[in-house]
Amino acid sequence: MGYGMVIDQQLCVGCAACTIACKAENNTPVGFNWCDKITRTEGTFPNVRYEYISTMCNHCENAPCVQACPTQAMYKDRDTGLTLHNPNKCIGCKACMVNCPYGVIKFNWDAPHPDWRDTDRISAGTFSPREMVAEVGADGSPTSNPERDSTYPSVRARGTVEKCTFCDHRLAQNLEPACVEACPSGARQFGDIDDPNSAVSKLVKLHGGRGLRAELGTKPRVIYIRDYRPSRRVSPARPENKG
Amino acid sequence: MASVKTPQREPGMLNSMLDKTRMTRRGFLAGSAVAGGATALSLNPFMWALANNRVQFVPGSGEWLPTVCQGCTTWCVKEAYVQDGRVLRIRGHQKSKITGTSGCVRQNMALTELYDPDRVRFPMKRTNPNKGRGEDPGFVKISWEEAMDTFADKLLELRQKGEPHKYMTTRGRYGFLSGIMLSNMAKIIGSPNDITHSAICAEADKFGPYYMEGNWGYRQYDLTNSRYQLCFGTDPVAANRQVSFATKEWGNMLDHATVAVVDPRFSSTAQKADEWLPTRPGEDSALAMALAHVILVEGLWHKPFVGDFSDGRNRFIAGRTVDEADFDELHTHGLVKWWNLELKDRTPAWAAEKTDLPVEQIMRVARGLGEAAPRVGIWMSRGLHMTTRGAYASMCGHSLAGLLGAAESKGGSMRFSGTPLGSLPGGAGYHDAIAQEGVTKEKIDRRGRLEFPAMAGGRPGAGVISAQPAQSILEEDPYGIEVLYSSWNNFAYAMPHAKEWEEALKKVPFHVHSTLNLAETSMFADIILPAAHSMFERWNVIANSGNGYGVVGIQQPMVKVGDVRDDEGEIPWLLAEALARKGFSAPLDYLKNDFVDPETGAKPTNGMELALIAVKMMTYPFWGPEQNVGGDKFSGWAEFLKVGTWNSDPYKYESRWSNMGTKTGKFEFYSETLKNSLTVHAEKHGVGIDEVLRVCNYEARGEQAFIPHYESPRRYGSESEYPMLLVDHKHKLNREGRGCNHAWYVGERDVEPGDIKYQDAAKFNPIDANRLGIKTGDDIRLTTETGSVTCKAGVWEGVRPGCVVKAYGMGHWAYGRNVSREFGKTAIGGNNNELIPRDYDRLSGSSVFFGQIGVRVEKV
Repeated sequence: MGYGMVIDQQLCVGCAACTIACKAENNTPVGFNWCDKITRTEGTFPNVRYEYISTMCNHCENAPCVQACPTQAMYKDRDTGLTLHNPNKCIGCKACMVNCPYGVIKFNWDAPHPDWRDTDRISAGTFSPREMVAEVGADGSPTSNPERDSTYPSVRARGTVEKCTFCDHRLAQNLEPACVEACPSGARQFGDIDDPNSAVSKLVKLHGGRGLRAELGTKPRVIYIRDYRPSRRVSPARPENKG
Repeated sequence: MASVKTPQREPGMLNSMLDKTRMTRRGFLAGSAVAGGATALSLNPFMWALANNRVQFVPGSGEWLPTVCQGCTTWCVKEAYVQDGRVLRIRGHQKSKITGTSGCVRQNMALTELYDPDRVRFPMKRTNPNKGRGEDPGFVKISWEEAMDTFADKLLELRQKGEPHKYMTTRGRYGFLSGIMLSNMAKIIGSPNDITHSAICAEADKFGPYYMEGNWGYRQYDLTNSRYQLCFGTDPVAANRQVSFATKEWGNMLDHATVAVVDPRFSSTAQKADEWLPTRPGEDSALAMALAHVILVEGLWHKPFVGDFSDGRNRFIAGRTVDEADFDELHTHGLVKWWNLELKDRTPAWAAEKTDLPVEQIMRVARGLGEAAPRVGIWMSRGLHMTTRGAYASMCGHSLAGLLGAAESKGGSMRFSGTPLGSLPGGAGYHDAIAQEGVTKEKIDRRGRLEFPAMAGGRPGAGVISAQPAQSILEEDPYGIEVLYSSWNNFAYAMPHAKEWEEALKKVPFHVHSTLNLAETSMFADIILPAAHSMFERWNVIANSGNGYGVVGIQQPMVKVGDVRDDEGEIPWLLAEALARKGFSAPLDYLKNDFVDPETGAKPTNGMELALIAVKMMTYPFWGPEQNVGGDKFSGWAEFLKVGTWNSDPYKYESRWSNMGTKTGKFEFYSETLKNSLTVHAEKHGVGIDEVLRVCNYEARGEQAFIPHYESPRRYGSESEYPMLLVDHKHKLNREGRGCNHAWYVGERDVEPGDIKYQDAAKFNPIDANRLGIKTGDDIRLTTETGSVTCKAGVWEGVRPGCVVKAYGMGHWAYGRNVSREFGKTAIGGNNNELIPRDYDRLSGSSVFFGQIGVRVEKV
């Protein structure tokens, strides 16, 4: 069993609903995301191409972060194949970050949500950020998700790392990861990518696909299929010998 | 609604807990050993919950409650997930036949509004009488009673003076109950000045569809059956007007449809299109006319809709007139006249020169459209027609829908499906003599004057001219405004020539602002009222349409943050009570007597009951015993409330062919409907139509006035002084002008390529960047005839050279700490609306946002 994600670039429109849904689900602080992006612009006007690539932890089969971690805080879950993090074992050495070729592990230099600890108000009758958090009974930020706490803290400790867990807390309840639920186009498909008969495996078989930086041998379990802008046989907007 | 309060988790709580139990960190871990590797739970959840003093919440154990999103005017029906007394996320409504559970990114951005770090919590009043940018209003907290008493006093003063018409309400984002306070009660008080924002939205969009096919409204698109989408200044996967639905369908649609996007910016939709037509700004209608020309010349028009030459021989040849008698038109009117007057000379070569697009591309798109007809979607939006002569640009774009037989066709575009809501009582019976006199005064926005035809729905003077009151107030023509109620809007930021609105607001002696945030407009207010959030804190009804369905949804109060009141139910009630306390009881009589619960017969005794009863009255056709409006059925109110949405029967294609509500009933290329309306307006002012057009700044004369035709763009600022052209656009995270005061917005600004996190960037093609000596991150100044702002520069290939592409949404000198540099004084970046002039497409009353707005760029 190995949970994986297939992202269909033809269906993706680069809206970042995944990024925001992940922030809402996992209460990531200002400054970094668990679900992020790589964007590429190629060509010269008017022959421009753009691609948005949604990124997250690849939950690699050969996870460099797990191999590097001196305390086994980063580990592979035997049943799900997920690369998970135990914050109680984490000593904040950042070896995982140095070894991850994808830059998807983040470090809490400060206690998260410093912006929500401000107590000043812009006027007598408005909330301060801290008052807003307290008023709504949240933890860290007003949108903190108490369901996240069921397997991993919704507010992480200063001096530890954090990263995408494929919403393991939701998987435990047979719910899809938040980014998959939020994607409006159906670009994100989730399932057991080690099972050749699963829907996700069939998608990869049908379309081919590639993981990011696969040549490094990490065996990422996030596979991208098809093209952001489907290739068709149209001549360029302006012939090359014109300005 | 109280929320469960859990103690703020302090950093180091775990460590202090360990201290108390005298366990070492390692010892603690030994105690919470990962059990047998059997689960994905990396930590004993009980121990973790203990450490956090927290109740366990099982994922998915919360409640999904129906609501309607108003982050843009698609108005998708949604479900909001409530857990632990908070809204955690939003999804599309599973029962929606438009979106299902799909929803665009902005649905979750609603949480940045609901839980804004600087959200207004209590009513306030101003203590510093001086109003202006940079003036601290000196807001102090007051009670709701004091706020409404003061407001009522001011209104009664106006009535006593016999000047109730000097009360103005301004409407920004609203629900279908908004008319109660903003229109009906305003009229009972005696004011005709309920000013809504529509003319800064996309009102010109409706002009072509109305005068050609009787639809003063937007269109819905049959994407699943489409073969071609042509988008003029429209970005359906990122911005208004069907974003969730378009996003859901677009990728799959690419398998069976060609997409062409006309935009000087390489928009999100262009990024996923087959053709990007980066037209010179303001010249889109030249392209549209050339496409029409090619479609006719090559015999590609859709004959089952338009008709054909009686002998089948195509006589449309460039430069040659055609005899009308040779053509048998079917469901259209005036095709040959239009060709003779306009199209015969609108060749691709001519258009290529205007638009700077290659002839080959124009030909290719025209042929592709013809081949795909009638399954073609012609999208139009603000980039095309919110321009000085945009009414005709709208006709030009929409004419293609007629030519290609796409109007009302499978795979094409349709008017919105009907959503036959019940009506609300208007309150006319409560107008006393003072009110009756007041409501007959000329409206503050000068609609209907010679220079303001504003011909909404065919009627001159019927359309609002949203941006105009500022000038009217400053010139006191027709008169000044003395009491203003601003509802869920921020006109001092959202209006073009925003600084003129600041000046006008300074002049209004008493101003009440019902708002989520202390925005620019709030800084000119005397009273601030904390408004309920539309999606989560109030009762309302919203209806819309898409994918061949009409959809009705309800908004309901599910949480309450701060001392807010339902802005369209409680606030009018509180005002009516205050007025009644002071001897003017007509508004309260209206609310107490005329609103009747259709299920129970009950009348409201407070504002929440008023709102709920009004919702039941409006939605009664969908759940009442008769239920003869088709679509989804319900056993009664309880079931309707639980489900929260009604879908209509599917749209009937072609049912309006030759029954289109135009003067001839046909799709009018030569618009008899427009001719009629212009005649009415001209005669009212004792002039000819040509004079109307001259005064209103159009080039057309004679019969050209009644057909789609090319009008040259009006350039604001000379090319020598303002050599580049400003291209405004919506940032894809914008919830209209809101939701920006939050890390989720400013921290993700670079979701738009070329933009910069935490900054407000104007985007340049590298050619211009090199010429100007600027690189990404540089500080620059943008100056137009209207004003000047500073911001950052971004360099990106997806910008047409010669253009400055800049997203609207930042540049807030008020609003909150995350978007203002110094709250109340300076902004991060600059508001595009300080650069855009106050001018109009006068035939529709729309404000100019596009066209050719000359801009000069300097390094700072």
